[in-house]
Amino acid sequence: MNGPGSRPRITEEQSPLEVAKAVLARGVHLSAELEVYVSYGSTVEISAFGGNVESIVRARPRGVGVRALSRGRMGYVFTADLSPWGLDQVVAEAVSVSEAADVDPYMALADPPDQPYPNLPGLWSPDVNMTDLATKTRMTLEAEAAALSVSGVETVEASVYFDEDERVAIVSTKGLQAETQRSFCLLYVWAHAGEGSDRQSGIGFTAGRTPGLLNPEKAGREAAEKARVLVGGRPCPTGVYTVVLAREVAAALIACIIPALSADAVQKGRSVFARKMGEHVASSCLTVRDDGLALEGAAASPFDDEGVPRQVTSLLEQGALRSYLYDTRAARRAGPSFHSTGNAARSGYRAAPSVAPSNLVVEPGEGDLLSVVERVGDGLYVESVIGLHSGINPVSGEISIGVAGRRISEGCLGEAVCGITLASDFLALLGSVREVAGDNRWIPLYGSVCAPTMAVENVVVSGG
Amino acid sequence: MLTYEGLTQDLADRVLAHVLKRGGDLADLYVEEKTSLSLRLEDGRVEEAVSGVDRGASLRVVRDASSVFGYVDAVEEGDLMRLARELGAANAVGGGEAVAVHSGAVSTGDKAAVASAEHHAARGARLLKIADVSARTVSAEVRQVVASYGESRQRVWIAGSYAPLTSDLRQRVMLSVTVTAQRNGLLQTAHDSLAYVGGLEAPDEGTVRALASEVACRAVALLDSRPAPAGRMPVVLANGFGGVLFHEACGHGLEADHVLKRSSVWVGKVGQRVAPEHVFAYDDGSLPCMWGSSGCDDEGMACGRTVLIEAGILTGYLTDRLRASQLRLALTGNGRRQDFRHLPYPRMTNTFIGPGVQTVAELIADTPYGLYARAFSGGQVNPASGEFVFGVSEAYLIEKGRVTAPLRGATLIGSGPEILQAIDAIANDLVIKPGTCGKEGQSVPVGTGQPTLRIREMTVGGTTT
Repeated sequence: MNGPGSRPRITEEQSPLEVAKAVLARGVHLSAELEVYVSYGSTVEISAFGGNVESIVRARPRGVGVRALSRGRMGYVFTADLSPWGLDQVVAEAVSVSEAADVDPYMALADPPDQPYPNLPGLWSPDVNMTDLATKTRMTLEAEAAALSVSGVETVEASVYFDEDERVAIVSTKGLQAETQRSFCLLYVWAHAGEGSDRQSGIGFTAGRTPGLLNPEKAGREAAEKARVLVGGRPCPTGVYTVVLAREVAAALIACIIPALSADAVQKGRSVFARKMGEHVASSCLTVRDDGLALEGAAASPFDDEGVPRQVTSLLEQGALRSYLYDTRAARRAGPSFHSTGNAARSGYRAAPSVAPSNLVVEPGEGDLLSVVERVGDGLYVESVIGLHSGINPVSGEISIGVAGRRISEGCLGEAVCGITLASDFLALLGSVREVAGDNRWIPLYGSVCAPTMAVENVVVSGG
Repeated sequence: MLTYEGLTQDLADRVLAHVLKRGGDLADLYVEEKTSLSLRLEDGRVEEAVSGVDRGASLRVVRDASSVFGYVDAVEEGDLMRLARELGAANAVGGGEAVAVHSGAVSTGDKAAVASAEHHAARGARLLKIADVSARTVSAEVRQVVASYGESRQRVWIAGSYAPLTSDLRQRVMLSVTVTAQRNGLLQTAHDSLAYVGGLEAPDEGTVRALASEVACRAVALLDSRPAPAGRMPVVLANGFGGVLFHEACGHGLEADHVLKRSSVWVGKVGQRVAPEHVFAYDDGSLPCMWGSSGCDDEGMACGRTVLIEAGILTGYLTDRLRASQLRLALTGNGRRQDFRHLPYPRMTNTFIGPGVQTVAELIADTPYGLYARAFSGGQVNPASGEFVFGVSEAYLIEKGRVTAPLRGATLIGSGPEILQAIDAIANDLVIKPGTCGKEGQSVPVGTGQPTLRIREMTVGGTTT
């Protein structure tokens, strides 16, 4: 092993796959099984405030994560030091850190797939890097200006453009070899309307795989309109309501509930969905699938974060529980007839994979917000949520969150409501969905969920 | 795997001079090397052992309130100069005068412990197993124990156009335990953690045993709890992590970036009465061994104590360099960032409400009816409206001055300005607990604390109407 003294660098031309193979080659003499994950990113983030650029952040993060399975024990080490010396170190360290772990009889690296990985044309576009900074800056400023042009909007706290171009490669001693490139752009606006203690906020966004697909003006106006309609809001009386969940709120709740379908959580006694396979755990109007191949979803990819092909998995079918989500390890633990559903995920090269949804899609019903509101007649329209991370317990399934929105009376949207909470639990909420609209929208804000407007009965609302 | 010998003033000067060549009001270079180790136990097994090194640098140049920021996963001279060239080009929006780079003596916080990082994986694994066994011994209804051990050693070097090179060493150890208890279909959880700052000494076995048993007892007790009520009522918040109340209800709104954007309910309120006379509140990043403490903030400013509320009067905001200069406010040492990949923002350190004189027993005896919130799961605020929520994970009913039936968790909701005014009793049992605060996509360690206190009335988001 060379010392750190002279450190030739990995050249710009070396692809993530070449780096991954170079790391793997360093481990061939070891008795451990190795999996190498390499990510090269290129990101731009632009914030606007008061008609000016507040900040521009440019970065090219790069790193490698190595999973070593040595005598049944799993160790994971990451580094951004891509010099030959750094790569030597990361392999050796992965094996040595595995000694702190216990033998895990279910742990295994993913097998290479039988079929070629799915082809996802459009997952990456060169436009994300070809579009110049000036254009992206103009879009950010346009979105802010659009929000400020709506009367009653006092400030736009944030107008932020973000894009990412990422190349990922995974190789393993089992012969797995996967490489992909993807791009994603998101522009979001956070606007405030009203004054003093009656100030209200709204979020608008636009997303796509190239900057050209974004509509900054629409995102700005969306944020402004959402803030404006809440001005003057007051708590409604405490009671049991039929609530209509805006698509963004439905997406947030689905994104919090579905991780409890992780086979890992089920197997370890941390899920209210344990021992419920085949049962009706939700209302018959609810059908939800995990779709790792849907290009509109931010999580689309040919393979998951341990190199298993992404797929479409039916989770809830007309309310019946059809499948849990598996990675390689959870599938092995479940038994010989189970396979990974391609749901291994990691938050980057610095984290080992674990089970998580990819893109979640709620099967659309019919109608839109106004037709749902009309049928509900009397109730509450919930447009925004606060306190998801503190108010939802992923194990017990209890939900108690802050919400704001509008009253529904005589089939119409009425006065603004804020300062109230909504409380339920996973099974009660899923079981009380009475209607699913057909107005699905892809929402990349809480994971990646494609959700419609939904109506839910018998929800306890705490207010004045 | 620690190899970096540190940033020198000479190199910092050259990098900053380069990036400011085309003008700028402020520039700084932030270099970080961090080693970390984490272990996770579940099902009685240490399933995951992760270690890693983060080594990188970021550079910021501000001109006319616009920041240009970039980072590299590298720390060598060539990498820093290349970054400076790229940012210098992005900053070239016209002419402008070059700013002189301030140069001076190197003030390192700690030079002694730059040797190679010693990871303590075996020791951590042993503590996790002790936690597992201790929790499971409590009851057959303990269904699952998840225990995590993490330690990190972060060394930062900060050099700005405003100050000479400064270095700080932050060493942190955390052990946390989450217990799931089960009875038939009902699952309940409880959680707590131990946190140490300043060295890499691990908690002793007895402390870990006691923590795990206590968490398990709480999870099992929650199986007998009934759903929390919905509606408005008096609320007594237990000491320690109950400080999330002040953190959310007020603290975030005092961070100067929200003040600058006029998107805080506290704008223009300095010098005004915002709470009853018995309320005092502080932010203090210099408290020894507290989770939110460090030698200096991430802009090289020494941490210290800022009085936020004095006898009910709002006395100040929390600033970083950029907002302090824009708002012409004093620097408070609150310019913090998650790591070199992020821009600094004004952030809280250890934020807490000062103690009163009553005992807890007196305070509860003086409460005819209400909710006693014992354990908390965090919160969130919209600084613009002041509306905040925070999650209570364990609560009890107070009836006729006595703590009675255990209740399940519920979110509490309120408006910051209203809730501060409604603090009508404060006990003498101040405790500050460790937590993690998220803002602008960045997580930083913070302390949140308070003595037990009572809110005259607030909305409880339970399910029993």
